[in-house]
Amino acid sequence: MTSLTHLQRLEAESIQIMREVVAETENPVMLYSVGKDSAVMLHLARKAFAPAPPPFPLLHVDTRWKFRAMYEFRDRMAEETGMDLIVHINPEGIDKDINPFTHGSAIHTDVMKTEGLKQALDQYGFDAAFGGARRDEEKSRAKERIFSFRTAQHRWDPKNQRPELWKLYNTRKHKGESIRVFPLSNWTELDIWQYIYLQNIPIVPLYYSAERPVVERDGTLIMVDDERMPLEPGEVPMMRKVRFRTLGCYPLTGAIESDADTLPSIIQEMLLTNTSERQGRVIDHDSAASMEKKKAEGYF
Amino acid sequence: MLNARRLEAVRLRLDGHTVAAVATRTGLSAPTVSAAWKAFRQGGWEAVPVRQRGRRPGQATSLGDREQGVLWRRLAEQPEPPRPCWSSQDLADALRAETQQEVSPRAIEHWLEAQGLKPSPLSLEGLARKRSIAGRWVRQQVQPVLEQVNKAGGAIWQGGVRVAGPATSVASLPRRYQLYLHGKRGALYTRCLPAPPKADDYLALLTRLAERGPVALIFHGADFQASPEIQRWLANHPDFHLINVPTDAL
Repeated sequence: MTSLTHLQRLEAESIQIMREVVAETENPVMLYSVGKDSAVMLHLARKAFAPAPPPFPLLHVDTRWKFRAMYEFRDRMAEETGMDLIVHINPEGIDKDINPFTHGSAIHTDVMKTEGLKQALDQYGFDAAFGGARRDEEKSRAKERIFSFRTAQHRWDPKNQRPELWKLYNTRKHKGESIRVFPLSNWTELDIWQYIYLQNIPIVPLYYSAERPVVERDGTLIMVDDERMPLEPGEVPMMRKVRFRTLGCYPLTGAIESDADTLPSIIQEMLLTNTSERQGRVIDHDSAASMEKKKAEGYF
Repeated sequence: MLNARRLEAVRLRLDGHTVAAVATRTGLSAPTVSAAWKAFRQGGWEAVPVRQRGRRPGQATSLGDREQGVLWRRLAEQPEPPRPCWSSQDLADALRAETQQEVSPRAIEHWLEAQGLKPSPLSLEGLARKRSIAGRWVRQQVQPVLEQVNKAGGAIWQGGVRVAGPATSVASLPRRYQLYLHGKRGALYTRCLPAPPKADDYLALLTRLAERGPVALIFHGADFQASPEIQRWLANHPDFHLINVPTDAL
């Protein structure tokens, strides 16, 4: 009997979860945020159902404020995998021109991400949605089960979660309920990087260190990705060697100064870090908009 | 003592003694006698004594807290026109004026290096020989401009802006943003700011450089394309050639 490495165990667990969802639900979808976790999840999905393509589409809830490199990568991956890619942008957000600068990060996240996700799930009737969230990212994610049930209104009740003993998942759901499924729950950021390295999984180049134009906002380095980023009077972006540990809307995602431009150097950096990658997300700094509160309202 | 014997050696040579005989009589080696004689023939008696080695009397052996404080304060200020930034000579002069402390420009450069404030200029000639993106950039975009500015009798500068000091974000240590220039033979001119330089800081620098005629400035570390103020200034100064170092050229 051969013993599995910890990455092989995690991989097997994730693949089992994905197959379980496809077997037990009617209309699953994979939420694709274009980040590294999504890249790993997509890779696992392809493995789980090979040689056929995964039997569910990819859903990208777009806010119109992602990095340009993310859009390019998303389209390339959809083409390479041959999977259907559904891009949903909250039409109300477009009408009202919701953006992180005028409306603030909380409203932008609520309208463009939370409401946008709920709209997309309702519109296409998805009853299960895979997400790439991990327990080590943030404390409210740590206590969320792998199969996270949501009411018909997409609300999450952290006090009413099902036990998942011995990795047995109760997928029975009431009418109107849906499930958010997190196959990477038990992975850590380091696991993700090691797996990307070992499996040679393509990721958005923003994860690698390079010189990029950045400005400082409240101690956070924000990349000036396009001309929509309002600069302060007289401000000139500096070119600094930075990379991203997490990717989201570019005005709300902090870069870190780093020289890690290869996967081994990123892994080495990971081994030395003692902060969560979510530290780079501006939306997580606002205590009034804590992750748990956002999740209870339907955020991923 | 050495200089007295060198002078004596020259006198004996003038009297017609051979190099070997002079060496024997003065106790100097034959090459030293020859060197003293050569110096006399080229520069007269004044050229015969050799310069004293080591620091001059009274010159500091190290910079104390007070002197370093003066240097930091000066670096945080903008120097008087027409100087674009502080050179090591300027800093040494400022230190002498303020503390009566004699410090050589070289010692200032050592201090700048110890503080992480001594960036190296790009080796354009070396890059031009490379078959790489950087090499192509130098050959196609830099060299034609430099030739044009050289023909017009203008000045060529390199420069940049960077975060000096701790590379990682250590909250307890202050961050410094360093503006720097490299002039002829890589001479360093610099100043420090407590926050990222604004368009006014860059314009002050560019304006002072532009006063000296046509200029080519190869600059690294700022996204000038995003600054309308600087773009306007450049449009009004056609003799000023600002060449941004592309991100993939380094």
